[in-house]
Amino acid sequence: MHAEICEDTVILNQWHPISSTDDLKNHKQITTMLLEEKITCKKNSNGKYFVWKSIDIKKKLLPIKIAYGYLWTSLGTPPTDLFSFPEFYEIDRRNVATGVFGVNISAGRTIENFLDMGHFPFVHTGVLGEEPHTEVKEYDVSICETNDEILATKCQFYQPQAAVISSKGAEVDYIYRIPHINCAILYKSSPVDKKRQDAIIIFVQPVSQEIVRAHTGMCIIDDKSADKDIRLFQQTIFGQDKPILENQFPKKLPLDSRAETPIRADKSSIAYRRWLSQKGLTYGVIPSEDNNLFEVM
Amino acid sequence: MLKLYDYELSGNCYKVRLMMAFLKLSYDRELIEFYPSKKHKSLEFLEINPLGQLPVLMDNDFIIRDAQAILIYLAQKYDSQNNWYPSEKPSLVAEISEWLFFANDLTATSSAARLHDGFFYTNIHVEKCRKKAHDQFRIFDEHLYFNEQQGFPWICKSQYPTIADIACFPYIILSEEGGISRINYPAVRRWCDRFKRIPNFIVMSGIFPAGPQKVPDNEAKQSKILNGN
Amino acid sequence: MKLALSKWFPVASISDLPYRHIFQGQLLGREYAIWKADDGNINIWENRCLHRGVRLSIGTNEGFELKCQYHGWRYANRTAGCTYIPAHPADAPARTICNNTYTCQEKYGMVWTCETPIGDVPDIKGFKSFTVLRPIPINSAYKNVRNFLSSKEIPDHHMLRSKQTEFWRFKTNAGNLLSLVIQPQSGNISILRGIYNLKTTGTEKLRVLKYYNSLMTKLRDEIESQHLPKLHERNPKISKLADDLSQFPTLSDQKHNLRVSVSEKVKLSDNIVKLKLKSIKKQLPTFHAGAHIDIVLQNGLIRQYSLTNGPGETDHYCIAVKIEKHGGGGSKIISENISVGDIMAISAPHNSFPLLRNSTHIIFLAGGIGITPMLSMAKAMHSMRQSFELHHFTKSNDKEAFSHDFASFTNKVITYNDLSINQSLTTIKSLLKKPKFSNKIYVCGPGEMIQNAIKIGLEFGWNESDIHYEYFKNENEIHKNSTFKIDLARSAMSLEVPSGKSVLQILKENGVNLVSSCEQGACGTCKVRVIEGKIDHQDVFLNSLEKEGQNIMLTCVSRAKSKRLILDI
Repeated sequence: MHAEICEDTVILNQWHPISSTDDLKNHKQITTMLLEEKITCKKNSNGKYFVWKSIDIKKKLLPIKIAYGYLWTSLGTPPTDLFSFPEFYEIDRRNVATGVFGVNISAGRTIENFLDMGHFPFVHTGVLGEEPHTEVKEYDVSICETNDEILATKCQFYQPQAAVISSKGAEVDYIYRIPHINCAILYKSSPVDKKRQDAIIIFVQPVSQEIVRAHTGMCIIDDKSADKDIRLFQQTIFGQDKPILENQFPKKLPLDSRAETPIRADKSSIAYRRWLSQKGLTYGVIPSEDNNLFEVM
Repeated sequence: MLKLYDYELSGNCYKVRLMMAFLKLSYDRELIEFYPSKKHKSLEFLEINPLGQLPVLMDNDFIIRDAQAILIYLAQKYDSQNNWYPSEKPSLVAEISEWLFFANDLTATSSAARLHDGFFYTNIHVEKCRKKAHDQFRIFDEHLYFNEQQGFPWICKSQYPTIADIACFPYIILSEEGGISRINYPAVRRWCDRFKRIPNFIVMSGIFPAGPQKVPDNEAKQSKILNGN
Repeated sequence: MKLALSKWFPVASISDLPYRHIFQGQLLGREYAIWKADDGNINIWENRCLHRGVRLSIGTNEGFELKCQYHGWRYANRTAGCTYIPAHPADAPARTICNNTYTCQEKYGMVWTCETPIGDVPDIKGFKSFTVLRPIPINSAYKNVRNFLSSKEIPDHHMLRSKQTEFWRFKTNAGNLLSLVIQPQSGNISILRGIYNLKTTGTEKLRVLKYYNSLMTKLRDEIESQHLPKLHERNPKISKLADDLSQFPTLSDQKHNLRVSVSEKVKLSDNIVKLKLKSIKKQLPTFHAGAHIDIVLQNGLIRQYSLTNGPGETDHYCIAVKIEKHGGGGSKIISENISVGDIMAISAPHNSFPLLRNSTHIIFLAGGIGITPMLSMAKAMHSMRQSFELHHFTKSNDKEAFSHDFASFTNKVITYNDLSINQSLTTIKSLLKKPKFSNKIYVCGPGEMIQNAIKIGLEFGWNESDIHYEYFKNENEIHKNSTFKIDLARSAMSLEVPSGKSVLQILKENGVNLVSSCEQGACGTCKVRVIEGKIDHQDVFLNSLEKEGQNIMLTCVSRAKSKRLILDI
C-alpha cells in the first residue's frame, strides 16, 4: 500500500479529533494517524499538550484545541472556532467518551450511517428498532446558513423498550445535527427528563480516505447508569454497525447522484452529499464528475 | 448458579454464550470492560484470573479460565444428549481436541488482526497475522469440503455439531473485521450458514443471523371452515 | 482484457449453491451475489444493493427473494426488481428499482457467466459425463497461471492440443480426460477449476476428488512460489445506475405492451378459472403484493385482474377469474374463448392496493373473488414470517378453489360458506371487535361488504387509515356534466375540461400520458396530486380522510367543484 499525500485543502483546513482527553490522562505521549500522516502528541508536566507531525525533526507545532472532551488538531489553517455544542457544558449532564473504533471505511459513509434511521430494525434489532415497525416518517432537513450546518428535525422512529419503566415500544423523537463534515450529533428524548434531550456524538478522525477512527460519546442527563454500562451499550451498537460499514462499496462516499438510489427516508443523506459537493471536498469521497470509479477493465 | 465474566465484543466470550444458548442454560453476566479500560488487566480481575484473560466461568465456587476449557466443562456437565462433546467416543474426542487447538491458534491470527484494525493494538504485525490466517483458512476450507463430500456437515466426523464448531466459529466469522476476506473459502461460508441455523443460535455485535430455514409445508395445519345455514 | 468480456467463465460450482445460501463470487474484478431460489433458478447479481452499496452477499436468501441486511429491501428472483422498501411501507416502489443482473448458464456442474455473451458456454470435447473437482484459488494473475499451465508438464497427464484456448485438456495414462479452466477473479487472484470426464460416486468419487485436489494444490504452490510481481490492483468494478433511477420518474404510457401466452387454464371450481401467463420473450416485470394487470381481450375489452402470485414467482403471472354467467363480457370471453397457447396483451403490473408490512398483525377479509389480491398478500406475509389471518366469505361450491394457494398457511385461513348477510355482519363484528396497536384491516369484495366492514371497523374504534380496501368496480353513478379548467403546474399547460369528458381524457388528448387502468374510479392508478382547487370526488378508491384532504384525485372520474384545479403534473 502506498500512502497518498492529501492535497485537499477542504479537509486539511478542518479541525480533526485525535484523542479523547480521557485516553490522554494515562499517557505522556501518543501517536496516531491523520490524513495519512503520523502525528505525535506529548503532554508536559503542567498538563499542556504539544502536537506535531512525527516525521518532522524540527517538531513544528500544529494548532490544537481542547473541546468537548477531545483534543483536536489540524494540518492546515483551521478556523478560529470549532462548531458549538452547548449541551456539553450543562452542569447536570454527564459526558462519557464511549470509545474510539477503527473502521475500514470512509468518514462520509460513517457519518451517513449515523444519520440513518431506516436500518435500526435490521441492524440494531430489538434495541433501536424492530420489524415490522420499519417506517421512516417524513422529517425536515434544512441547512442553517448562519452556522453552515445541516439540521434534520421532526425525525421519529419506533423503538422497542423505549422507556426504562415499561417494556412497551414507542415512537422516539430524534434531531440530527451535522455541524462539521466529519462530525454529527444526535439528540434523543431523555428517558429521565421528557423536556430535555440526550446527545450522542460521533466525531470521525480520517486516518486515510478509506480508514477512520470513529470517536463516540454521550452527553446525557442520567445519574443512575454507571459509565461502564453506558460505554458497553454504545460499543454493542457500534459493533453492529461496523460490518455493514465495512461491506459498503465503494468505500468512499459517492457524491454522484447516479451512483446510488435514494428514497425519501434518505433526505438527510442527500443533503449531506450535496453539502459536501458544494464545499468541493474530494478526500474520502468520489466527486460527482469523477468517472474513475466506473472504469472498464 | 453459573456466572460468566463476559465482554460483548470478545469472540472468546461469545463461544461460551453460544454454548449456554445451545444448552439453554441461564447464567449471570459480570461485564468486564476489555476495551478501552482494559479491566481484564485490573488487580481485581487478576485475582479471578491471573492470566488476565476473558472469559472466566464460575460454577458456584469452581472457576474455569479458558474458553475451550469452559466449553468442555459445560458440554460434559450439562449436555444430557452427549452430542457436543461425546466423551465416550475416543476418536471424536481426539478430533475435537485437534480443532480446539486450531481455534485457539486463530486468536493469534484472525483475532489479532481484528484487535489491530478495530481496537488499535498497534504492536501487532497485522500483515503477518492476515497471511497466517489465510494459511489456516485454506486448510480449514479443504477440511470442510472433504467432510461435506463424506456427508459430514460439521468440523468433526459427526452428524451433530460439537464444541469444535463453537470454538472455531467466532474468529472465522469475525475475520473480515481484521481485513481477512472469506471470498475464497466457499466451504467455510457454507459451514457458517449451517452453524447459524443450529437451533437456539444467538448473534453478537458484528454477526448477522442466517436466512430462514425452509418452512415445511406440513407445518400448516388443517384450515377452519364455518358453514352458514 | 476487452476480449475477456465476451468469453464465458465459470464463477461457481453448482454445489456452491446449497439451499438458501448466497455465494460471494468475483470475475474480472466485479463481485457477484449468486443464489439459487427455491424454484431452482440461479441468479447472478452484482454484489451491491443499489440503495447504499452494501454487499448483498451479507443479506439473506429468503427462498424467492433476496433481503438486504442494511435496510431490509427485498429483491425478486430473476428480475432483481425491488419488491419492498420497509422504510416506506405504503409505497409500492414507484419505479422499477432493479439490481444489475448477469446472464447465467449451468454446464459441467458449474455456473458460468459472461458480460456480453456471444453464443452459449462452449462444449468441451469428451465430457458427456463428468465429476466436478474442488476449485483451487491461486494468488496469482490469470496471465501467470496461463503461462505456467502451458509450459508445465503434469505428471501422468498428456496435454491435448485444442483450438479452445481457454480449456486445457489432458489425457491420463489410464486414458481418461481432465479439463482445466482458469477463472480470472481479480487482478492478482485466479481460480483453477477442473472437471474429470467420468461420473463418479462414493469412495471412487472421493478418491478422484482427493487425487486432483492434491495435484491442483501442488500446481498452486508452484505458481505462488514463483513470486511474480503483483499487478496494481484496480478499483473493483461497479455499474452505474440507469438514468431513470437517478432522476424523478417520468410519466409514460407503456400500456399493454407485454405479450404473454396462456400456459395453463384450470377450472378451480364451477365458477372460477385460473390462468397462468408466461412471458414470450422478455422477463416479466417485478410485481408487488396486491398488484393487478390489465388484460386486453379479443374484442378490445380491457379488464383488470389481481395477480395471485407469491413473492419472487417471476417466471409467470397467475390470475383467477370468476365467470359471471350474466355479467359483462370479460369473464365470459375468458371462460369460453381463451385457451392454452393463446397470446394475450397485458399491461405491466400496477399497484394501488399496497400491502403495508409494518403492521404487527393484519386481518384480511375477502368476499368471493375479492380473495385474489389477498392471496398474493398472504403469501408475502407468510414468506416474511409476519402475523396475519385470512377470512374468506364464499359460496360452498367455490370453497375448494384456492386450497392450493393456501397450502403453506392453511392454519391462518378461515373459510365461511354460504353465510347470510346478517351472519356475515355478525362475523365481521366479532373479528373487528378489538382494535390493537399497529394492526391493520384489509378488505376486498363486493361493494356492500367493503362499506359494512369500514363502518363496523370505525364503530369499534379503528383508525380509518388502518382500514385498507379495494373495490372491484365503482358502482356509483358518475356525473360528467360540469365544466372547469385545469392548470398543470409542472407541464405549464392550461386546459379546459368540457362536460362529458374526463380529466384523464383531456390530459391524454393533449399529450400528457398519465398511466391509467380501470378508468372507473376503482383502481387508483391514475391518481394525481392537486395543489389548488376543490375536488368533486366520484371514486371509491380514496378513503374519506384522503377525500377531505382535497389534495389528491383520480383523474378518470373525479371533477372540480371550483372553477379551476391546479394539478401537480
